Amino acid sequence: MKFVSFILRNALRNRRRTVLTILSISMSLFLICTLRTLLDALESPTLTPEAAKRVVTRHATGLANSMPISYRERIRRVPGVEEVMANQWFGGVYKDPANFFAQFVVDADHFFDVYSEIRTETPEQRDAFTGLRTASLAGVNLAKRFDWKVGDRITLQGSIFPVNAETTIVGLVKGGGAESNFYFRWDYFNELFPANISGSFVVKARNVEDVPVVSESIDAMFLSSTAPTKTETEAAFILSFMSMWGNVRVLVGSISTVVLFAVILVAANTMAMSIRERTGEIAILKTLGFAPRQILGMTIAESALIALAGGLAGSIGARYLYASFDLTAYTMGFIQTLDVRWATVLLSAGISIAVAFISTFVPAYNAARAPIAVAIRRR
Amino acid sequence: MIPIRYNLRSIVVRRMATAMTIGGVALTVAVFVSILAMIQGLRNTFLDTGEPLNLILIRQGSQSEAYSYFDRNIKGIVETMDGVDAVAGEIVVLINYPRISGETTNIIVRGVSEKSLELRSKVRVAEGRFFRAGLREVVVSRSISSRFKDARLGDAILIGRTKWNVVGILDASRTAYDSEIWADYNEVSEEFDRLIYSLLLVRCKDARSLQFIKERIAGDRRVKLDAFGEKEYFETQTSSALPIQVLGYMVGIIMAVGSCFAVMNTMYAATAHRTREIATLRVLGFKRRNILLSFMLESVVLAVCGGVVGCLLALPVHGISTGTANFASFAEIAFQFRITPPLIAEGMLFAAFMGGIGGLLPARRAAKMQIVQALRPEV
Repeated sequence: MKFVSFILRNALRNRRRTVLTILSISMSLFLICTLRTLLDALESPTLTPEAAKRVVTRHATGLANSMPISYRERIRRVPGVEEVMANQWFGGVYKDPANFFAQFVVDADHFFDVYSEIRTETPEQRDAFTGLRTASLAGVNLAKRFDWKVGDRITLQGSIFPVNAETTIVGLVKGGGAESNFYFRWDYFNELFPANISGSFVVKARNVEDVPVVSESIDAMFLSSTAPTKTETEAAFILSFMSMWGNVRVLVGSISTVVLFAVILVAANTMAMSIRERTGEIAILKTLGFAPRQILGMTIAESALIALAGGLAGSIGARYLYASFDLTAYTMGFIQTLDVRWATVLLSAGISIAVAFISTFVPAYNAARAPIAVAIRRR
Repeated sequence: MIPIRYNLRSIVVRRMATAMTIGGVALTVAVFVSILAMIQGLRNTFLDTGEPLNLILIRQGSQSEAYSYFDRNIKGIVETMDGVDAVAGEIVVLINYPRISGETTNIIVRGVSEKSLELRSKVRVAEGRFFRAGLREVVVSRSISSRFKDARLGDAILIGRTKWNVVGILDASRTAYDSEIWADYNEVSEEFDRLIYSLLLVRCKDARSLQFIKERIAGDRRVKLDAFGEKEYFETQTSSALPIQVLGYMVGIIMAVGSCFAVMNTMYAATAHRTREIATLRVLGFKRRNILLSFMLESVVLAVCGGVVGCLLALPVHGISTGTANFASFAEIAFQFRITPPLIAEGMLFAAFMGGIGGLLPARRAAKMQIVQALRPEV
């Protein structure tokens, strides 16, 4: 216990330096946590158990190519399929192209069965969507962004399709990542643009175990048709969108590595400064009988304490900062929330301790090994 | 004024602390400059695309050639307009295609004619030859060829349901066309069973006729097209750089704040070690503001040294070729990191700024020091 207070006092001896170092380290760890969480959000979207049962069928060539709507009934008859629904990206413009948000054209009758985790505020809103042909649903965050209320009429000017969709919001939805999306009905869409097509189909399998077989049977069924399909799990489908942004992993990885080196330099500088000031003291400690190993340990512990304080401040700060505001508006809806996981906080604590060890070992080792006579004279 | 030589020598004396502080600033500047180089490369790719006398005609409201389609008879109407020099009718199809690293993204396949090449003077066949009309042959731009599967000269690439022979490599002088695959219009339109044009590329006789044609298209109810200058069309797509820009500035600012704290630490230590020197300078007749300026200058010089090292560290990223998603079409846009002299200047300014902010408080402390106290022997 006596060591603990010794270490603590040493760490707080030059308070300004300690605080500045903690702040500097916390900024870096804040950044590393942010990048790590960003990568998490892009690469492994949080999926519910329901989502694992879903697969998405699209045209083998790409999403810009659509499939005939008749595929819907053929997919429904595939063994293992519980429910299927058309899902078309509308890509319309709300007042200004800068107001970008995701708009999906869906089958109202099957929407809540396929996406069972998506909920309206009241059961009446749900019935209203199935009841009215020109009905639409807005995610709660989206509604907040544009100050929409139930009953508002929304006009989306088509860009992919040469039609304008005029719908009435009948409900607000949340759950399953729907918070920033907009949904309206396929039958209304097909009336505006009578081509009998859909860009993708969302299929829900009866069991998770059925998923591979269902995917394979769907693709096999359409293999030699004019519109061959590619069916993959919802997770893989989302991931394929993320990969469009390029090699985010390498970008994030390289930035984090450089930041890490910067932290090591900062910590090393601080510890080198304080150890140099204490050369004489260390000599006295050794005169009193402390072993070099003990001195080395105490110095590293001191540095670990400072680095850990910085690391925890940065990562926990990130966790609560990102939890407290909505990122949708700043990122055009691509990232809704950054949820800094406890695992990430733990990771940055680990990084901090490693940084402390790397940055302090050499100067502390040299100081602990220096002959007493030399060290005292150097003072 | 206190000669700057005094500061330079002081910097050299504290070799270790100086090196570590410079290192920290250097890493920050290196990251900042690298991200700026990425943004610059992406923006320039769009800004360098297009020729002043070319117009791009797409379906009204479609915003992107990837989502535009219209009747082929319209080409005849446009060709007979006054001031039109040449018209190329083209089709654009997005295909979902894997990179060499495995993830898939969308690539633009452009169905063109000989005229398309004539109207784009920056695009030329660099290796092999142009495709022959009537054959399933493609020419692939260099950055697609080097980063995507089966896209090298002599390979056969799967587009739609057929394998197409790669007979040539395109060099589009780092414009947006460097991200595309080109094939014969008739072959592409037949493969995807789309007997339409996605766009008309119109070469006008002069600037006056360009303006005239633009107005005529806007007023012509038969054609229902939007006319954009080719340059203007690609300029609007620079918004694709937005996510990187947001990320870049966030990373830059957070790292800069961290580095400021580190610089502050070093400068506080510097002033603490040189208490007596400062007092002596005061006794010699230097004013408080001389001391303030001198220490500020020292801090800025220190940071600028870091800036130089940082820029040097960032240089190797110049020319790295990568890709991200184009906002307008959701297709891959390939670009190269570009470091330009103004960008280096920006990096240096950024470094100087960190030095200035980091040095301010320590310099103020040095300037406020009481001479008598400072000269009193250390206890």
